[in-house]
Amino acid sequence: MGLVIDEFYKSIPKHGQVVCGDNVEIIKNDQETIVVLSDGLGSGVKANILSTLTSKIAVGLIDKKLPLIEIVETIIATLPICQVREIAYSTLAVLKLTNKGFAHIIEIDTPSIFLLRDNKVEKIPMEERKVLDKTVHEAKIKIDQRDKIFMVSDGVIHAGIGALLDFGLGWEGFARHINSVAERYHDLKSIIEKLIDICMAYYLMEPGDDFTVLGLSFRKKRELTMLSGPPQDPKKDEKVIFELLEGPGKKVVSGGTTAHIVARELKQKVESTFDYYDKDVPPIMKVNGMDLVTEGLLTLNKTADYLDKHKLGQLYPEGKDGASQLIRMLLASDYIKMIVGRAVNESHQSLNLPLELGIRTQVMNRIAKSLKKLNKDVEIFWY
Amino acid sequence: MNKVKVEICIGTPCYLMGARELIDEMQKLKKIYEDKIELKSLHCIEERCEKAPIVKVNGQIYEEVTYDKLQKVVKDKLSKL
Repeated sequence: MGLVIDEFYKSIPKHGQVVCGDNVEIIKNDQETIVVLSDGLGSGVKANILSTLTSKIAVGLIDKKLPLIEIVETIIATLPICQVREIAYSTLAVLKLTNKGFAHIIEIDTPSIFLLRDNKVEKIPMEERKVLDKTVHEAKIKIDQRDKIFMVSDGVIHAGIGALLDFGLGWEGFARHINSVAERYHDLKSIIEKLIDICMAYYLMEPGDDFTVLGLSFRKKRELTMLSGPPQDPKKDEKVIFELLEGPGKKVVSGGTTAHIVARELKQKVESTFDYYDKDVPPIMKVNGMDLVTEGLLTLNKTADYLDKHKLGQLYPEGKDGASQLIRMLLASDYIKMIVGRAVNESHQSLNLPLELGIRTQVMNRIAKSLKKLNKDVEIFWY
Repeated sequence: MNKVKVEICIGTPCYLMGARELIDEMQKLKKIYEDKIELKSLHCIEERCEKAPIVKVNGQIYEEVTYDKLQKVVKDKLSKL
């Protein structure tokens, strides 16, 4: 089973600002993950436009397979100039990491990358060169499977200025926090959340600058098999359940009627619960042997709406409702096998539901399309 | 029987047609009558989805249930305990 790269980030805007001046773009394919982190001059909308422009240009050019250094030259040459300060300004950090662990890093005016190896942060040795009057740092190194990499914007290094610390946390200071957090937490998402909390605390909960913490690590591939909807031909119930049980990874069932068919075939009971955490999402159910059993259409539509907007690297939703649980499981998987029954639920027809809400095939196609965009391997089997 | 057993269907049609409000209100009522009401959720009672929401009270099925209707039925059963 091959290794894949997990990446998560969280950006916090300066206190009082609605948009963040930092921007992260991630592109992924079967062999590599490319991360671009950019921090625009100042904060708020202007900074956001600058950093978005920078990272979008970078990602666009990377997608065209241009050499990284040429991309950097293009960006430096084309950045708009701030009329107030008369400097063209946005920082840039680009990391290209292959699934085999080869990393190519380019940094311009941004805090150096943190490499966490054997529970200790190391600074990666960089080569320095001048590109159009800008100092560019570059490194090519081999990353070990157990390493973790962290990238931050300068708001992290400056955490504490104007609040707890006169000169801010500094690179070394943040490295110490990575060390201590990574000793207690091993999962990348939790580490990033804790690091964000630490920066917020130094800023006394009112950050004086936008800041972003981004992390990458390797993990084994994860798989999931999902069944939704009874098959058109009821004689195929047994076959569909067999497909579900024989499918790889975690098992998810979506749909009340489907859950009853699964329970019947497995000689189990459907346990209903009352606990709903989101008024738009009916409570989940429980069937022995299944990892998650949700209601069907409402949960699936909510899931599809969320996945439409999800960007690679963003942290998962935290809710306890069925849709949030399903979203987390789908996002955490790399291969998703969907078994979709096409039986029409007569009762839904009689309720005059909006057309797109009532059609399971459409919702499942929407979910599959969004997951594919997030570089998931998705297969749908229709019954 | 010293309890009134209320089972509310939480299938998609029932949920859309008001089962959630019924759950909310019945949970409030349960706080008042504490041990005298047993509240459960279930799924798809005898395929009567077109008459959603469906509620079973002491085994008897009620269709197109509103809270007023349900409250009357439950209070009536409570008075006969």
